[in-house]
Amino acid sequence: MKQISGALQRDVAALKKLLPAEDILTFPFAAEGGTAFTVVFSDAVTNKELLGEEVVRPLRLLSGKPSLRAVKERVNFSEVRSEKSLKKLAEEILAGNPVLLWEGAEEGVIVGTKLVFVRAVAEPPTDVTIKGPREGFIEDVKINTSLIRRRFKTGELLLEPVTVGRRSKTIVMVCYLAGTSVEETVKEVKGKLEKIDIDYIPDSSYLTHFLSSRPYSLVKQVGTTEKPDIFCAKLAEGRVGLLVDGSPIALTVPYLLVEDFQSSEDYFVPSYRASFTRLLRLFALLVAIYLPAFYVAAQLFKLQLFPVKLLLTIAGSIRDIPFSPSLEMLLVLLVLEILNEASIRMPKYVGMALSVVGALVLGETAVSAGFVSTPAIIIVAFSGIGLYAVPNLIEQTSILRLSMLLVAGSVGTYGIVLLTGFTLFYLVTAENFGAPLMAPFSPLVKRDLRDSLIKYNLGSLPLRPKTLKSPNKRRLK
Amino acid sequence: MNKLSARQVYFLLACILPVGKLILLPARLADVSKNDLLLPAALHLLLQAGAVFCALLLAKRNMSLFEMLEGTLGHVAACVLQTVFALFLLFAALLPVLEQKLLVQSVFYDTLPTIASFAPFFLFAAYACSKPLASFGRMWDMLAPFSLAGYFGILLLSVGSADLAALAPTGAAGASGFFGGTMSAFAWFYDAALLLPLLGKIDYTRGMAWKGMLFYLAGGAGVLIFLAVFYGIFQETSVNQLYAFTATSKYFSGIATLGRADYLFIIVLTLVMTFSCILPIQGAIECALQAYGRKRWLAIVLSVGASLVFLILVLVLDYRFGEILAALSGVLFWIFPLFCLALPPLLLLFGRNDRARA
Repeated sequence: MKQISGALQRDVAALKKLLPAEDILTFPFAAEGGTAFTVVFSDAVTNKELLGEEVVRPLRLLSGKPSLRAVKERVNFSEVRSEKSLKKLAEEILAGNPVLLWEGAEEGVIVGTKLVFVRAVAEPPTDVTIKGPREGFIEDVKINTSLIRRRFKTGELLLEPVTVGRRSKTIVMVCYLAGTSVEETVKEVKGKLEKIDIDYIPDSSYLTHFLSSRPYSLVKQVGTTEKPDIFCAKLAEGRVGLLVDGSPIALTVPYLLVEDFQSSEDYFVPSYRASFTRLLRLFALLVAIYLPAFYVAAQLFKLQLFPVKLLLTIAGSIRDIPFSPSLEMLLVLLVLEILNEASIRMPKYVGMALSVVGALVLGETAVSAGFVSTPAIIIVAFSGIGLYAVPNLIEQTSILRLSMLLVAGSVGTYGIVLLTGFTLFYLVTAENFGAPLMAPFSPLVKRDLRDSLIKYNLGSLPLRPKTLKSPNKRRLK
Repeated sequence: MNKLSARQVYFLLACILPVGKLILLPARLADVSKNDLLLPAALHLLLQAGAVFCALLLAKRNMSLFEMLEGTLGHVAACVLQTVFALFLLFAALLPVLEQKLLVQSVFYDTLPTIASFAPFFLFAAYACSKPLASFGRMWDMLAPFSLAGYFGILLLSVGSADLAALAPTGAAGASGFFGGTMSAFAWFYDAALLLPLLGKIDYTRGMAWKGMLFYLAGGAGVLIFLAVFYGIFQETSVNQLYAFTATSKYFSGIATLGRADYLFIIVLTLVMTFSCILPIQGAIECALQAYGRKRWLAIVLSVGASLVFLILVLVLDYRFGEILAALSGVLFWIFPLFCLALPPLLLLFGRNDRARA
């Protein structure tokens, strides 16, 4: 590996050879003692004001032949390091940290005057709470780290950076509480991260593929959150967290399916309310998945499932519909999915127009024109609302809902039973980082049921979840 | 996830296995034993409880069935016996699969559908049977509350319509009714045999044999209560109510306004039954894997093969269920006690070397 030679011109030229891009600038200046200095920096990502005020100005006053120690002491900045390797110095320049070279220097001095554009810490749109903290992660890993550190004022909180991505050199911060997280899980996470050989990591979701034991699975195997309070609570339970530079979504492992039925607010409201809300979420999810399928199966194969009066109403509504019940439901569901997709992607000011088109033109007119029946619209509306009760599982449940609808339309209720059996079987066999996805229900862990779909009072939860196998079992004394 | 926990085995005995006895067995017993239908069922449950006790005692040795047979009889004989036992399990699976098919076609469709409506079951069976036994253990954890909810839901909706006085006087059907009922019910009671392929995979805990037996009897008590309610509702016409657990709740007064709300429980119980009726097939595949080597490809080939065989059998025997039932409760009835009542105690007696090794 090529190293600093001490000859300023040669070293600068060597760095420029490594970094030929136009935005890599050099700023030569001389100190009072006559020593020639050059700062090499990246134009777009270096704070030039800070560099001028805190680095160049004090160094200009330097007299005599400067030593490495004297240069480091003269720079008015806390983040100062030195490095001999030209390649490493080049990497620092690309990261936004200017490199200081001078005639006779044994090492280059790296000054951490990186320029970072960040948005303010705000409430994440995906996890709004009425009671409880409202902070959300942002794209900068350092600020995210500070949000975590602020909540754990203990040396047990370890934050270990791992660089992932051949070109992006993305920093992934592995966070865990020493003595609380399982050591094997930490090792496994780091091992999996180190094995990743990809050129660019745009978001934390890329990492989930590499962290999952079944990367092509429909079911997610890594927990996600945008809120530092949830992230910290998961670390405190014994999980390992990952903060990825450039992503506001933090990852946690091991992941249990039941996590997505829990909200941070559940811990800030009375336990009976939290239990009720969790059961309501499960019910909403079941309605979202099964209601369209059962409606179609009942219409096609077993009309007896409807009460007589409801059957008469439905019969009246579907009399003139030109499509079969399954095709009708499929079309309405597809329209809902398209509306959903369009409403997320389109500019906000067109949103109102979309609502009008979606609700009035497509909904009302389609019914009055006799294309679809009113019950189908009502059922899909119920199902659509139910889906959003558990927002973290939308991707999975919408696919499952469509699958259920297809088997209901072709095989009927027994198809729904079989697909449910298949899904359950698939779920109970899934595990990642040593934790079964369906725990604490399967395998049954009685103690962990206290904070699953039912939530006990905090006083009844003195121990950490058994499923996570934390070496530090007790959290409440 | 390699071993089955004691709790999972208890759930199997108390919640999963009894469910398969709620479809055709009640009508069959009512046909032969009339109001004494509880007596042959109780006798079978007691005999099976004893066999379950023996099978769970064998689990203490922490050896598979094949290892036990091999230790006593040698490799070749063990392979032969293990294959015969696997064939018995496949034979035993025929009735529940046909029962399930008839139930599905009658209960979930207004008009008789084609066999294609039941064909996805074999796809499911092929997938599930290729999975290791421990996955089934987790599934039992999952299904136990479903089973209890379905059973108690149906029972609550039914019990109000039952006249339990119809069961009196005890013994009215006479000895022929009792023995006839006992003989005809053998095909439904082979639960202890289903435990044998699990041997070596069970994480034995102290007192498991007793507790397992008690859990089995608790599940059996559930079956007896259901039989009593069933006969209490339909009495002499019980014989016509083929799919017992789907029929008892339809007289609940709320059905008229709510619609067939009881279908919710029926669907839940059908889900449990789907898993209970593939257990013998899974057991047969496990036996074959123990004897001929545990390889992933072999498990897949065997489960796909077994499912295809059953699909063909169901196609061929589509309208011959009466003859099959007659054969199973007539000339072929002895096969069941041979494998599930005699084999576990025999293994206990003749496996002393194994005990020493364990």
